[in-house]
Amino acid sequence: MLAGCGAKQVVVEGKFPPPIMEPLPITVGVVYSDAFKNHEIYDEAAGRAESDWVVQTGGAQMVFWSTLFNGMFEKVVRINDHESLHKHEDHVDVVLIPIIEDLQYTIPMYTNVKVYEIWMKYRFRMVTIDDIHDHDNGDLSYHPEQSLADWTLSAYGKTPTAFMQSDEAAVNLAAVVALRDAGANFITSFERVPDVARWLDSREGME
Amino acid sequence: MIPWRHYAMRLHNPLRPTAPTPGPYRRLGDATSTSMCARLRPSMAADAPLSPIWAGGESSIVGFFRRVLPGFFMVGFLSGCVTATVDEMTFLEPTEGIGDASVVILGRRHAPDYETEFEFIECIGDHIRRGDKSITVLHELQFINDLYPWFEPRTAPLRTEDIDKLLEHKPVAEKFAELKLEYMIWIDGSTVETNSSGSMTCGVGPGGAGCFGFGTWGNASEYEATIWDFTDQAEVGRISANTSGQSYMPAVVVPIPIIAPVQGAACDSLGDQLLKYLSAKI
Repeated sequence: MLAGCGAKQVVVEGKFPPPIMEPLPITVGVVYSDAFKNHEIYDEAAGRAESDWVVQTGGAQMVFWSTLFNGMFEKVVRINDHESLHKHEDHVDVVLIPIIEDLQYTIPMYTNVKVYEIWMKYRFRMVTIDDIHDHDNGDLSYHPEQSLADWTLSAYGKTPTAFMQSDEAAVNLAAVVALRDAGANFITSFERVPDVARWLDSREGME
Repeated sequence: MIPWRHYAMRLHNPLRPTAPTPGPYRRLGDATSTSMCARLRPSMAADAPLSPIWAGGESSIVGFFRRVLPGFFMVGFLSGCVTATVDEMTFLEPTEGIGDASVVILGRRHAPDYETEFEFIECIGDHIRRGDKSITVLHELQFINDLYPWFEPRTAPLRTEDIDKLLEHKPVAEKFAELKLEYMIWIDGSTVETNSSGSMTCGVGPGGAGCFGFGTWGNASEYEATIWDFTDQAEVGRISANTSGQSYMPAVVVPIPIIAPVQGAACDSLGDQLLKYLSAKI
């Protein structure tokens, strides 16, 4: 019955279905940066009546995007170190690098609207595998200017207040809805990104 | 001696009862307005829009009392009156029933300021299943997951013409064939609290607990069901149900809730009309 004063922590968890679609006939390498894998936001309380918030989405992001890419492309490989880079360099058509640029949330306490909301903004970079460089310390790097395509994608999730539901559970649900929305947006817009469309056309021309 | 603690309570209804069927109905554009006072069915979910216990803006204990305490006292008690207006326009009714085909009922959730409640969709589905066990009503969440990402708020078809685009995806077309989907019913709307007033004071002490005061609140539901014939890719009907009611909670030691089952009445109204449309038995 007593309300604590500590930070409210949400480790986003959810079940994510694979997309139902015909996979694009390409082999994609995916680089998940440490910032992506461990993504979290920390929001410090503005006053005594509020709580600090920590929303960790990294784990859910990894599960979600891995599931989505596996269903969307014919073959997907993870590129996370020197070994995997050289193992796949001959048969990867293109490398995708997802980046979380921004994540914002609101709860009813802030807005007086009985809805929990999450906004996410991603940046996706598509590069050739030759543009990925490995370093002695095992880190991978690439030149953003050498990207074949570079685009942003936004996602939104909301969940209404519900009986016996905590703030944390509602924020988690809103985050899951936002992730699903990000996936829907990615699938429906991928081939319409001008640089991606050009690259796909050029591949068809070569075949 | 432990002092009595007083908490201000704004009243909410933690149970959502349903009402008996408002009727009779008429077809082809007729509207039926009915007023009913229903008995409580305590197994249903919440009728009033609720916020979580620890939602902030008030103390946790007050939040707990607002939602949980009335629930302990109200099960099986009284119910308030609901006014329901049902408007229907349907055609191409499957007079022989839908055979072994299936139906899916989906909520619209693309509006920024409201979304059709999942439990309302479930309520209508259960209503149809109970009314005619031969009708296969697919579960909404399972359907949305099986067809991810084509029925997300961003991607869900808004017009029957969009079905063609969906069927261009071969696995989606195969999934529809596997499900034997014949009707897709979209429900758009929500239930809101229209007003609330009154106050109640509750106290807890070593000798017991009790409340004193009076509260009242109103709810209104507005839902519209749009029926799509999936095979013919055509809209074959629209049914709307508008319900409203005022709930009361006087308290002299024990709160006595008199709940207007607004959302439950809307569920029964729409469910009955959809059942009438889909079933060959009714």
